[in-house]
Amino acid sequence: MSVSLRCVEASDLLLPGSLPEALAMMAEPEPPTPLAGGTDLMVQCEAGARKPPARLLSLKQLPELKGIDEADDTIRIGAGATHWQIRNHADVKVGLPGLVEAVSMVGGRQIQTMGTIGGSLANGSPAGDIAPYLLIADAVVEVASIEGTRQIPIRNFLIDYRKIDLKPNELIVAVTCKVLPEGAKEGWRKLGPRAAQAISKIMGNYRGKIVDGVIESFAVSLGSVAPTAIRLPEVEAFLVGKPLSEETIAEAERLASASVKPISDIRSTAEYRKWVAGRLVRGFLTSFTKGNEGSEGSEGCES
Amino acid sequence: MQTKEITFKHVGQGIPRRDGDEKVRGLARYVDDLNIPDCWYGVAVRSPVAHGRLKTLRYDPAFDFDQVCVVTPEDIPGKNIVDMMGQDMPFLAHDLIRYRGEPLALVAAPTRQLAEQAAAHIQPDIDPLEPLYTLEEVIALHKTDRSKLDELSAQTIIKGSVDEGLAAADKVIEGEYWAGHQEQLYIEPQGMVAIPEKDGGVFLQGSLQCPYYIAPELIVTLGLPLEKIRVKQAAVGGAFGGKEEFPTLVAGYCALLAMKSGKPVKMVYDRCQDIRYSTKRHPAWMKYRVGLKNDGTITAIHVDFVLDGGAYTTLSPVVLYRGILHTTLGYNCEHVFVDGRVYRTHTFPDGAFRGFGAPQAIWGLESHMQECADALGMDAEVFRLKNYLRAGDKTGTGQVISAEMDPPAVMLETLKRSDFVNRRTLNTYGVPRDGKFFGVGVAFFGHGSGFTGDGEMRLQSKAALDLDWLPNGKPGVNIRISSTEMGQGTLTIMPQIAADGLKIPMACVDCPLPDTKYVPDSGPTVASRTAMVVGSTVYGAAEKMKALLEQYASDAFFGGHPCHLEDGVLTCSAVSQSQTFEDVARRLLEEKGMQRVVHQFKLPDTVVWDQKTFKGDSYPSYSWSANIVEVEIDALTLEIKLKKATSVWDIGRLMNPVLAKGQIEGGLTQALGYALMEKMGIRDGLFDADRMQTYVVPTSLDTPEFDIHFMEYPYPHAAPGAKGVGEIPMDGLAPAIANAIKAATGIRMNRIPITPESLWEAMPSTRKEIAS
Ligand SMILES: Cc1cc2nc3c(=O)[nH]c(=O)nc-3n(C[C@H](O)[C@H](O)[C@H](O)COP(=O)(O)OP(=O)(O)OC[C@H]3O[C@@H](n4cnc5c(N)ncnc54)[C@H](O)[C@@H]3O)c2cc1C
Repeated sequence: MSVSLRCVEASDLLLPGSLPEALAMMAEPEPPTPLAGGTDLMVQCEAGARKPPARLLSLKQLPELKGIDEADDTIRIGAGATHWQIRNHADVKVGLPGLVEAVSMVGGRQIQTMGTIGGSLANGSPAGDIAPYLLIADAVVEVASIEGTRQIPIRNFLIDYRKIDLKPNELIVAVTCKVLPEGAKEGWRKLGPRAAQAISKIMGNYRGKIVDGVIESFAVSLGSVAPTAIRLPEVEAFLVGKPLSEETIAEAERLASASVKPISDIRSTAEYRKWVAGRLVRGFLTSFTKGNEGSEGSEGCES
Repeated sequence: MQTKEITFKHVGQGIPRRDGDEKVRGLARYVDDLNIPDCWYGVAVRSPVAHGRLKTLRYDPAFDFDQVCVVTPEDIPGKNIVDMMGQDMPFLAHDLIRYRGEPLALVAAPTRQLAEQAAAHIQPDIDPLEPLYTLEEVIALHKTDRSKLDELSAQTIIKGSVDEGLAAADKVIEGEYWAGHQEQLYIEPQGMVAIPEKDGGVFLQGSLQCPYYIAPELIVTLGLPLEKIRVKQAAVGGAFGGKEEFPTLVAGYCALLAMKSGKPVKMVYDRCQDIRYSTKRHPAWMKYRVGLKNDGTITAIHVDFVLDGGAYTTLSPVVLYRGILHTTLGYNCEHVFVDGRVYRTHTFPDGAFRGFGAPQAIWGLESHMQECADALGMDAEVFRLKNYLRAGDKTGTGQVISAEMDPPAVMLETLKRSDFVNRRTLNTYGVPRDGKFFGVGVAFFGHGSGFTGDGEMRLQSKAALDLDWLPNGKPGVNIRISSTEMGQGTLTIMPQIAADGLKIPMACVDCPLPDTKYVPDSGPTVASRTAMVVGSTVYGAAEKMKALLEQYASDAFFGGHPCHLEDGVLTCSAVSQSQTFEDVARRLLEEKGMQRVVHQFKLPDTVVWDQKTFKGDSYPSYSWSANIVEVEIDALTLEIKLKKATSVWDIGRLMNPVLAKGQIEGGLTQALGYALMEKMGIRDGLFDADRMQTYVVPTSLDTPEFDIHFMEYPYPHAAPGAKGVGEIPMDGLAPAIANAIKAATGIRMNRIPITPESLWEAMPSTRKEIAS
């Protein structure tokens, strides 16, 4: 079978029936290019940013990549799970509410139905909306090749601009996230150039817990401000043990802003991004004082 | 013609779009859907530099050029000129190159892949010259050394003595306003196919707005007489002016390749090519100086209005004319001076886009009028209503606002419906409330309907009606006009109008897509003229056809007694008999064959226009509107959200209220993009936002709550009495939003698009926070 990613060039499409079969094909000297939802791959080929691969390996039909399973304090999401499946999964809604918010703002319904979490991670874009959440959920990425399986913490998996810890013969199989602990809260915010179908100018997630007005734990991540999605360790270290006062919030805002070195590109300016990085952190912290309605601005499209 | 006495049955009804079903089902045939046997694919060899001199084209000897067809300037049968205003654009650059991507040669091959490969094996040698890219650079020179600029067009409007007016003022308020490029982003990109005909002519079919622009403009290049250039419209999913003059270029490329190769040749741009290598809205800069009395009277308006024309003249002079005519439109002022200029830059030529200069002008005008009101401490509506034109007043060109217009009526109604006076008490003026800035803003504006000046007289638009067999096998009437459907409803309103003129059911009327072989020239589908001008011409033709049918029926059925056609039935009271339209038409067709009537549009004799001095009646009529908007800005991020837009429109008599509302909602959404999102930069001579991912237009989730209301003041000189609706929705939203942003933040934003980034730059207090 052959498919066409761009009107002038056709690619061969491989359709393995199982993960081992797929890994065997990936083990060939010139491995085929994995194709999940195709929402990044097709766009890149059409835009000329990438040469249409001679051979594509379809992942959609692999049963091993599909499941979403809860175990104790983790949820394991198959790499082939679509944004739409994640968004509507009962366990994910309870255990990883911030992920539901993040995937709800990926593209629009069409993209959510086709695009997968594995594709988003493998694409490795610093503007991808999923990686920042995985950072605050201490996710572990499971990759496999014919030689075996590796479990890689997300912060090691994201190496540099469009560079991830994935070898040419490996596939991402699943991502395992820690569920939101009892009494903790998480939230998310994305700033895009429009309300939907928008690549982020900046986005971020937090997960934290406040006990008697004092911050017990706080994890915060941002995307689109560095070559990869990042955690803000200085901000986190500063906040733990502090009372949630305006003074604390103002200092966290300042620290967050100071700790990022974003660039100017077609979507936004370095100066605005730097400023608004701090503003997002301010927004996250103030949301603690606002009851438990989650983060602000998360009007997921087509809910 | 007095419209008041006429009653309408179909006109004014919300009849569904006739082409809606096939478009929703995917059955409509766009140019790329046409299956043409043995069709070759065309591509252009484009210049890699924006400004330079072409020395030679080098053909890679390793490539087999025998399998493809290459067209260079030497192959052009006629002159290597695009026959548009200025005549300064070659079809293929052969010496001076003026924009990056300018075609140097054309290649056709049996497949697109092969054509692209061949094009890649033709390398130009170019001596580069210094390019001039941006309006910012142009304005810097305009202010300091105009001799360094290449002026493509210039025009002034002079009324009274602006110096006298300024001298009489208590205050003079100055302001500069900027607007950027805007891309039309129609649904399907540019595309055309040229098929060589046996008689040596060429048949062109494609995505286009104006079949009678392409055919006559190609005479010079192709060296063919008009009759041998046939142009037919394929289904069009949107145009917005982007398919007004531009398709002549693609048509020329395809025709040249088809004539040389003897093959049908198709070119369909992909989105990136389309954005890079097709026309945009002209970037504009305006400087206003307005003289004011302390009581709010405007004593003088002085405007400098400059457009960035891009690399060639194309339609820029006409865009300039409409632009300057709208820089003061609506305000009553004795002393006016408008100085309009278009300068050349080395970017793709700018061209037609919904509004055609008026959105730029009204962006400046209504922003500045708010500045004037603010400077006087007067309420927005009080200042505007004090100065707005009323029946009997004269515009900047001396045109008298006629008695059947009442421009302030739409303003008064908008004020009421939006509850403006109460809502503005919530304006935050720079101090956020509950984490949000809030502001309400107004814009009040008009838009000239039809061609500028005496253009409609010179156009002599014609419409024909053919009594013929329809595709359903029944007798009926085919409307033959060159007006095109591009999403706005032409194919629906024209049958409504014709059915009303003929007094027959709409089912008996068809409106096929135009083909120059069958339709007379009704003028281009531009300038908000189709419903008003062509609609009225169709109405006139329908009345003629009705008379023809009545005469025939009277002779053939009623022994010469007069009869009357009404509701599809011809009734003769003298003999108390009647015949259906269908029976009469059938007999007539069987007996005499197809019957054609033609009608030509006329303006009242009282219209006077001097194209040199820009004095007189600058438009046949005007549509009017006011927009009042509510804007919310997140104090945390400076994200700007248009929450509500209340608008009232006088677009003359409504042909179809559902479609009219669709035009307004779509136009306001496009204007929202212009105001807040659509940012186009230039990188190395190319537009940087060259994909739908980077050129951000609004989605339905970005639209506000719309309150849209119509007030009908029909145009009395062209039944059924429509004025223009196509462009006016593009005009006023940007300044209304900027005025609301000022009410919210206290800051005047004078450059669109207004983004969180630009707002952040303009708000020093927010900047301080980051510096800490
Ligand atoms: C209109 C539009 C809007 C979008 N909006 C957003 C948005 O708002 N936010 C956002 O984050 N993204 C957005 N995207 C990007 C994209 O949809 C997502 O990143 C998506 O999740 C990619 O998944 P996919 O399954 O389609 O990947 P594909 O395109 O199939 O694959 C992407 C890359 O990953 C590789 N790959 C895929 N799966 C695996 C695997 N299991 N193992 C190894 N390699 C693999 C492929 O070979 C390819 O290189 C948008 C895209 C479009 C077209």
